[in-house]
Amino acid sequence: MFRQFTEHISGNQVYLLFSLFIFLVFFIVVTVLLLMQRKQHTDYMSDIPLQDCTEENIKLLKP
Amino acid sequence: MQPEKFYYDNKIVRNFGIATVIWGIIGMLVGLIIAIQLYKPEMNMHNQYTTFGRVRPLHTNAVIFAFVGNAIFMGIYYSLQRLMKARMFSDVLSKIHFWGWQLIIVSAVITLPLGLTTSHEYAELEWPIDILITIVWVVFGINMFGTIIKRRERHIYVAVWFYIATFVTIAVLHIVNSVEIPVSFFKSYMVFAGVQDALVQWWYGHNAVAFFLTTPYLGMMYYFLPKMANRPIYSYKLSILHFWALIFIYIWAGPHHLLYTTLPGWAQSLGVVFSIMLIAPSWGGMINGLLTLRGAWDKVRDDVTLKFMVVGLTAYGMATFEGPMLSLKQVNAIGHFTDWIIAHVHVGALGWNGFLTFAILYWLVPRIYKTELYSKKAASFHFWIGTLGILFYAIPMYWAGFTQGLMLKEFTPEGILKYPSFLETTMRILPMHVMRSVGGALYLTGVIVMAYNLYKTAVQGKLVANEAAEAMPLEKLPPHASTERWHRRLERKPVLFMVASLIVILIGTFIELMPTLTISSNIPTIASVKPYTPLELQGRDLYIREGCVNCHSQTVRPFRSETERYGEYSKAGEFVYDHPFLWGSKRTGPDLQREGGKYGNSWHYNHLMDPRLMSPGSIMPNYDWLITQKLDTTTTGAKIRGMQKLGVPYPAGYDKIANEDLDKQAKGIADNLAKDHIKVKSNKEIVAVIAYLQRLGTDIKAGKTANN
Repeated sequence: MFRQFTEHISGNQVYLLFSLFIFLVFFIVVTVLLLMQRKQHTDYMSDIPLQDCTEENIKLLKP
Repeated sequence: MQPEKFYYDNKIVRNFGIATVIWGIIGMLVGLIIAIQLYKPEMNMHNQYTTFGRVRPLHTNAVIFAFVGNAIFMGIYYSLQRLMKARMFSDVLSKIHFWGWQLIIVSAVITLPLGLTTSHEYAELEWPIDILITIVWVVFGINMFGTIIKRRERHIYVAVWFYIATFVTIAVLHIVNSVEIPVSFFKSYMVFAGVQDALVQWWYGHNAVAFFLTTPYLGMMYYFLPKMANRPIYSYKLSILHFWALIFIYIWAGPHHLLYTTLPGWAQSLGVVFSIMLIAPSWGGMINGLLTLRGAWDKVRDDVTLKFMVVGLTAYGMATFEGPMLSLKQVNAIGHFTDWIIAHVHVGALGWNGFLTFAILYWLVPRIYKTELYSKKAASFHFWIGTLGILFYAIPMYWAGFTQGLMLKEFTPEGILKYPSFLETTMRILPMHVMRSVGGALYLTGVIVMAYNLYKTAVQGKLVANEAAEAMPLEKLPPHASTERWHRRLERKPVLFMVASLIVILIGTFIELMPTLTISSNIPTIASVKPYTPLELQGRDLYIREGCVNCHSQTVRPFRSETERYGEYSKAGEFVYDHPFLWGSKRTGPDLQREGGKYGNSWHYNHLMDPRLMSPGSIMPNYDWLITQKLDTTTTGAKIRGMQKLGVPYPAGYDKIANEDLDKQAKGIADNLAKDHIKVKSNKEIVAVIAYLQRLGTDIKAGKTANN
């Protein structure tokens, strides 16, 4: 099947297949890196916008 | 180690906020006026500076670069300082950025109605303004990266990645799409021609949507939505996947704007495939946003900012589902060139960009003025009238698009076009255009109410221009840092991150653009296609000045419905001297690629003077000033020299004698008009426009005659 497929690729279609292949590799690499990330780190990162370090807020938080 | 005290610069945020509201109102008002012109052409007040062709780019530039642009900078300047726990790198650069950007917009407001345009959609501004844009963008970049570098937060939150990708990609897009040769202070020719120019333009055009209207807003969504809902983003891992997949895929999708044109088939297929794939990251982002509100939907009921966010995200989801569907060739065949595209674009612009901007303004202004919103009721009214406005806008436009798209393709049982007159299809959709302007008016009313509400909010509070904050300085990295995972390390290296983003967007750019730009066999030449005569060249520039391309396409797609209506389908070799290409993206009027020789000179003269004389019911404005204004022939030599530099084969030294040929051809047309009792001097602009229109699409016919 693969041979039949490659035999029927005409000229410029190789650009299309090459592009899809690059994306597939890229996507797999990003997904693997993502799965390897520690939960502790992702929790920390997702909390960054909620940290309010304005003086007013810091005063409120002080006991 | 002691915490460091510093101050956030809220004044620059306020300034960009004011500019957002003012330009938003102006841009939308101009949009409303031109929407009314589409059923009442006399709304141009019989003035050349306010006709649809010249003012439509003003509307698009005003809403994209003035309204959305200022909103982006407002959101970035607010969120970046807080995410980096640092004041902006330089107050001076912030001011230069703000005033420089406003200068660019004012330049657009002056030059576009004057007809000074490159005709590249969303990149109409001429070369001196292009240079100014580059300078201001670099200033913004230095200020942004300077802030990131002096930060007090080690890791860079995902919102800032989107800002970095926006900066780097817009820089690349702007530079490549603005490669032009100046022939005078406000006139230039694009370096690329025909198919190549079309590919570059729509690579730019599509990615302007991606990296100006989408990625910075996604960044703002990732910052402001958690703040508004007071809970972290639903999945940070999903946001990482969203970011990388989105910027990788988006850059390839441009060719879906050129389906069924003479662009090489493989490039069209590439555009379609990547457009379909784009659904995944787009919906990943939308779902991540909506699920952030999981368990907090009760807040949406009471909080108007969250209401705007939810509708904005939903509009984003709808537009990013519809976009890929429209890139399917079968759907595109009907929808392209019709109001369907206008509906699609406005769901994104009014829903996604507009509503997110309003949400951020309602959330941010009371905070920097340390007060409460003046009227929650008025904000709620804005939300509902804005939502109604979107519905009243989009539904009639979808209806108009389906109606016209299908009418143009319909044949009788005998096999002839059921609606051979394009005008018949135009008149059928005029009621939908009236409804659309009602929708636009509702939406604009909401924005005016918001402006009043925000003004009253500001008046009752006091701007905290410099907001005090405290944070620990960054410590030296611990020894084990070198063993951190790859992406975690990337998250604290902004320059490396920028380079990585650049590489990702350049992969698609190179593979997609280079073969068409560098392999000559991709653009077969046609022996009978000759350069434009000097008079035709001047006429073409008047066609560009008047913005005819905003309503008339110049590319016949290979459908029977189009070849029957317009003539033979377009060939790539026909456009090799077209700097810039003028294929257009919307057919408010018929295609003009095969217009040459279809009617006599007197028909064109009368039609340009008053279109309703020749086509009763036409919505095209009168172009009577072309009859009275004298053609400027002092520029002919420079234009010929410019074209020669671009490879157009005019004989050496032709620039010096071009005006002799121009006069001869013009006299011929004037004499021909005189036979039909039309007295016009040969040095008037209308003669040049007629010469150009009569040339369109005729080279191929000449070739056939010669072969026969």
